[in-house]
Amino acid sequence: MDLNPPAGENYVNPKTCLFHVIFKAAALAFYILSALFVNNFVIIFVVTVLLAALDFWVVKNVSGRILVGLRWWNEINDLGESVWKFESLDQESLARMNKKDSWLFWWTLYLTAAAWIVLAIFSLIRLQADYLLVIGVCLTLSVANIVGFTKCRKDAKQKIQQFASQTLASHVTSTIQSAFSVV
Amino acid sequence: MSHSDTVPLHQSSQSDIDEIENLINASVQSAPARVLPARPPSPPRASIPVVSSSPFIQSNLPPPPPPPPSTSSNQKVPSAPAPPPLPTSSIAGSGFGPAPNTLTEPVWDTIKRDLSRIVSNLKLVVFPNPYREDPGKALRDWDLWGPFFFIVFLGLALSWSASVKKVSTDTVLFNLQSEVFAVAFALLAAGAVILTLNVLLLGGHIIFFQSLSLLGYCLFPLDVGAIICMLNDNVILKIIVVCVTLAWSSWAAYPFMSSAVNPRRKALALYPVFLMYVSVGFLIIAID
Repeated sequence: MDLNPPAGENYVNPKTCLFHVIFKAAALAFYILSALFVNNFVIIFVVTVLLAALDFWVVKNVSGRILVGLRWWNEINDLGESVWKFESLDQESLARMNKKDSWLFWWTLYLTAAAWIVLAIFSLIRLQADYLLVIGVCLTLSVANIVGFTKCRKDAKQKIQQFASQTLASHVTSTIQSAFSVV
Repeated sequence: MSHSDTVPLHQSSQSDIDEIENLINASVQSAPARVLPARPPSPPRASIPVVSSSPFIQSNLPPPPPPPPSTSSNQKVPSAPAPPPLPTSSIAGSGFGPAPNTLTEPVWDTIKRDLSRIVSNLKLVVFPNPYREDPGKALRDWDLWGPFFFIVFLGLALSWSASVKKVSTDTVLFNLQSEVFAVAFALLAAGAVILTLNVLLLGGHIIFFQSLSLLGYCLFPLDVGAIICMLNDNVILKIIVVCVTLAWSSWAAYPFMSSAVNPRRKALALYPVFLMYVSVGFLIIAID
């Protein structure tokens, strides 16, 4: 992945991109600025964690679907076991996804997690356990999204490969059959 | 409406059924400017989830035949108030996980689905219903939103009632409030995790997130108790209210936790749960 956005294209879904970024930025900004202006830890905690939770929901349910065509969730099947389900668009739609959208999606995910880690180091240095709690929650949410979507992307690639080899095999057999029927 | 990269993939990468459908459509369509009729989405195929070709898809995913020029351009999904839901997404309403075609559902549908899941989970856990004895069925559709809101709410209620007492200066008040909130939140969150680990280490069979979700939902009665105690200063009343809600919470958590472990270890699994709720009850009573 490169550091620059792919050139020559515009965002296809500007509103979704905006929502994808806005909650993350708001959570980080509120956390950083509130240390200067707000004296009440409860407000900082509740607002930051609420924004981070909203961001988690938006990324998982809205921007993941629209920007990169992936979705992941967990289900419990009839045997009582936990199953992680991954869902992705078929290959043609995936290839037609806007490159700039997906660049933005992945980079903001990684950058947010990195930013929370840096803030965690700061509050460790200052030995503030309660701020560490806030950061811990926000970091968990970001990392959960990263892990979920990465697994989903790998699963999608696997499915495409399987499907391609299946189609190839069925085309080969049908060609052979039609060749024999002509003979 | 801008198209994404260049030429769409060749038709041979689709399934054969889609190819035939496209051939039929291409031959039927006489004028390219004619808008496609709103046909229902193709049923989900068995192998790969296929993007449904209804006009509700937003602009960067036109259906394989030439895209209808005007219908999809107004469908910016995030701002769409409520386009009628795709027929297949109504399958998801019964609560066994999203149906295969949720990748293209409108945002409003997702919100509604999640909210109704929270409500139904709450009803399953806290109120009597026929599925209580079966841990597999209880909370099959776990979610962590309900527990999150309940824990935060309990922390807020406790910290607010800690401030009702007169305190000398503002900074001392804020410090007390933040301490109470942080303690309540950490106690409940860490407590839920540790209780789950306890059951797992006792050789029980539960799923980590399902159990977290259950323990969070069982906090709902204590939330109610905390509100009542916040509004009312009588100590006797508070003790009665807390005892009642404590019993309700324990009753809610009991079937799930006890059926997850070996019958001889039931008490070992249940005692810490009860202890945690008792300590929260003490916090509620003693906070004033």
